[in-house]
Amino acid sequence: MEHRHVEDEMMTAKEEVLKKLVQAVVDGNLELAEEAAREAVNAGVEPYKAIIDGLSKGMEIVGEKYDAKEFFLPELLLAGDAMYAGLNVLLPLLPKREAGEKGTVILGVVEGDIHDIGKNIVKAMLTASGYKVIDLGKDVPVDEFIKRAKEERAQVIAMSTLMTPTLLSIQTVEEKLKAEGLKGKVKTIIGGGSVSDSWRERAGSDAYGKDAMEAVSKVKLLIESVKAAALQLKDSEEQKPKKEKGT
Amino acid sequence: MSSEIEVVFQPYGKRTLIPSGTTIIDAAKKLGIDISSLCGGRGTCGKCKVKVQSGIEGLNPLTEQELNHLSKDEIETNFRLACQARVTLPSIVLVPEISRIGKQRLQTEGIEVPVELKPLVKKYFLKLPKPTLHDARSDEDRILDALKDEHGRSGFFDFDVARSLPIVLRESDWAVTTVMWGDKIIAIEPGDTTDRCFGFAVDIGTTKLAGFLVDLNKGSVVNVVARTNPQIPFGEDVMSRIAFAITGGWNALSELQKAVVSGINEMIEECCKKGGLKYEEIYELCFAGNTCMQLLFLGLWPRHVAFSPYPPVLRRGVDTDASKLGLRSHINANAHFLPVIGGFVGADSVADIMAVKMLESNETIMDIDIGTNTEIAIGNKELVMIDSCASGPAFEGMEIKFGMRAATGAIEKISIDSKTLEINYRTIDDKAPVGICGSGLIDILAELLKSGIIDVKGTFVKEMTKQTNRLRQGPDGWEFVLAWKNETSTNTDIAITQADIRELQKAKAAMHTGCEILMKRINVTEKDIDKLYIAGAFGNYIDPENARTIGIYPEISIEKIHFVGNTAGTGARMCLASKDMREYAEEISKKVKYFELAADPDFQTEYINSIYLPHVNLNKYPITKGLLQRLGSLRL
Repeated sequence: MEHRHVEDEMMTAKEEVLKKLVQAVVDGNLELAEEAAREAVNAGVEPYKAIIDGLSKGMEIVGEKYDAKEFFLPELLLAGDAMYAGLNVLLPLLPKREAGEKGTVILGVVEGDIHDIGKNIVKAMLTASGYKVIDLGKDVPVDEFIKRAKEERAQVIAMSTLMTPTLLSIQTVEEKLKAEGLKGKVKTIIGGGSVSDSWRERAGSDAYGKDAMEAVSKVKLLIESVKAAALQLKDSEEQKPKKEKGT
Repeated sequence: MSSEIEVVFQPYGKRTLIPSGTTIIDAAKKLGIDISSLCGGRGTCGKCKVKVQSGIEGLNPLTEQELNHLSKDEIETNFRLACQARVTLPSIVLVPEISRIGKQRLQTEGIEVPVELKPLVKKYFLKLPKPTLHDARSDEDRILDALKDEHGRSGFFDFDVARSLPIVLRESDWAVTTVMWGDKIIAIEPGDTTDRCFGFAVDIGTTKLAGFLVDLNKGSVVNVVARTNPQIPFGEDVMSRIAFAITGGWNALSELQKAVVSGINEMIEECCKKGGLKYEEIYELCFAGNTCMQLLFLGLWPRHVAFSPYPPVLRRGVDTDASKLGLRSHINANAHFLPVIGGFVGADSVADIMAVKMLESNETIMDIDIGTNTEIAIGNKELVMIDSCASGPAFEGMEIKFGMRAATGAIEKISIDSKTLEINYRTIDDKAPVGICGSGLIDILAELLKSGIIDVKGTFVKEMTKQTNRLRQGPDGWEFVLAWKNETSTNTDIAITQADIRELQKAKAAMHTGCEILMKRINVTEKDIDKLYIAGAFGNYIDPENARTIGIYPEISIEKIHFVGNTAGTGARMCLASKDMREYAEEISKKVKYFELAADPDFQTEYINSIYLPHVNLNKYPITKGLLQRLGSLRL
């Protein structure tokens, strides 16, 4: 009985600290997030669990509140900052292979545009959801997206722009992806002030996210489809030699 | 004689105490009542007519300006110009609808700034001696010599003018008028036409064109017209139009160019008809507009101004043949486009700075030209800096559920009773409401904040449903009803939604960020700003106090805030009337320092801080903070 009681206490202590992590993110409280992350480590919470059930859970709640129009940009960005403060403590403790396992996203504001607030919010939400995000910043040259996607073996390129003419830079990336035979192997998602679903169709991008929350759910689908396609390709390639023999 | 006198303004029922001898317009300003005035109180525009219902015997006699602007009937019914009449007895003043700002909706006029008349176009009447065997000078020399002898002018002929010269001279029996643009002779007209010399100034706005027919002999405006910019179908904002041009190539660019020219030609025709003149009597045209409008009007390849770092193609003022651009004017007329400053600050900003005389000022001036792109200039004669922010079209009613342009039936003024939370509004043309326009949107945001229905983050305070049924969950989430469907002409409740408020917050945050960061970079604070000028078509209709309460601009005391109207048009007229002003425009375009806002390291932080109403740091807004505390509606 005594033994059981201690376990219960430990359980509640761990739950308490997770709750604190969630709350720190929802409140956008940087100091609290950092403090809670350290407490989590001291309480013996797995870093991965602290991220998923603490920080990410918090961002998820923030996202829901944003969707419900209860929260707005300041809350989103503050929550993101709090999440990063927690991540700074937890990420170094994570076993290497776990980082980026869920998928890798190349993110940037396209060539010709320097408005990056939206992109920064998407970055926070994607990071919170456990993706490895390679942030190329703003005014990113067309070739840079492709080069980094290859280097990082990324599944998704996410591009944003506020302005209308720079939508053309998205189109250029799509054309280059096609020219390099990468279309389908790397999927694209676009968003930003001037972007719309009809523009996605025109540019030939794979998805459009109207806000950071939608971007996350669509990136999830894109990564799944890229992984599935890669598996299929592998299967069919294994079958190919047989067919060739037959002819 | 330092006694204070009470003046009541109807139909507002607002009263104030003022020192004896104060003008009616100054008394109105003190109360924040908008009375139309374009001339800055000099009595020259005649826009500020008011009816004095009591206390007329205490007023000064009618001034010369009033006699010019008031009809006999008006004088008999106690109308005065608010800028001319000074009060010495307790008075009641009625501001008629026509004098309330908000009647003329396509605002075209801006302040008038007197300039010394020095047009580039000049006419000289010459009576020439007929050629004889003893005097067989060429027709050309005969004119050039006479010009020199009689008017001290030397010049040269535009070659095309020389072609028909012999016929004109002989048919007019050697009495001709020489039309010069600078030193170039651009026309020889039969007889004496010196009293007919006109120019046309245009403000090419993204959504609106304003045209001014100017008598170049007097420097006065003959008449004014406005049109919506015919480029709108190609894209609402400049960026969409540039996208249209660069995806469609030169043909698309030419389509855009022709569209705006056709609009300008319509205005020229209308002005000429009204003024009783032929378009051939227009010898020069001056244009102001943002850099994108410059490119799309002159037909310059516009791609690169849309891509960081946004360089313009030509900074300098441009002179080109009006006929080449397809403009309806004299065949040899010159078209002058004022210089620009950068990709996002164009000739309209140069004109603004010129009109408010910022580069000559000892006082520190802040000028905000509100539009889809908002330009903010701060400075004095030592230094002027300018930046531009993408404030977006939310305050023009775009992206707002019941938003609309300022047209009949638009709610343009709105207030919430702090006790009952009931609503009072005024619509354009007093028609049943259809939607809400920009000035109304600013009002409602301020009123919701002041009545505690939204918090400083702009979020509806749900507990307020206990106090008002106007706050409710609608089809698009939380909303506040402005007009019930039995009041509207659309048979639906008109409401402002939480999503609308978010759009407005983004727009106002962009403008505030533009002000705040520029103030930091030029190293001034709110207290250092001596004057805040609000320019732009939309500016004149807004309530300056409400705009400040929601934090569109920093907390600057109301008496320092002035509306200057369409100063882009003013600047274009100044340059048309004076070649010195054109040189000055060139100086402005070189001296004013452009500042790239979006590249500033503080941009994101400041933008996010400015999303709050009025600002995350309430101590920057002591007046608003005090007001909210007093009303008990400060919701953090």
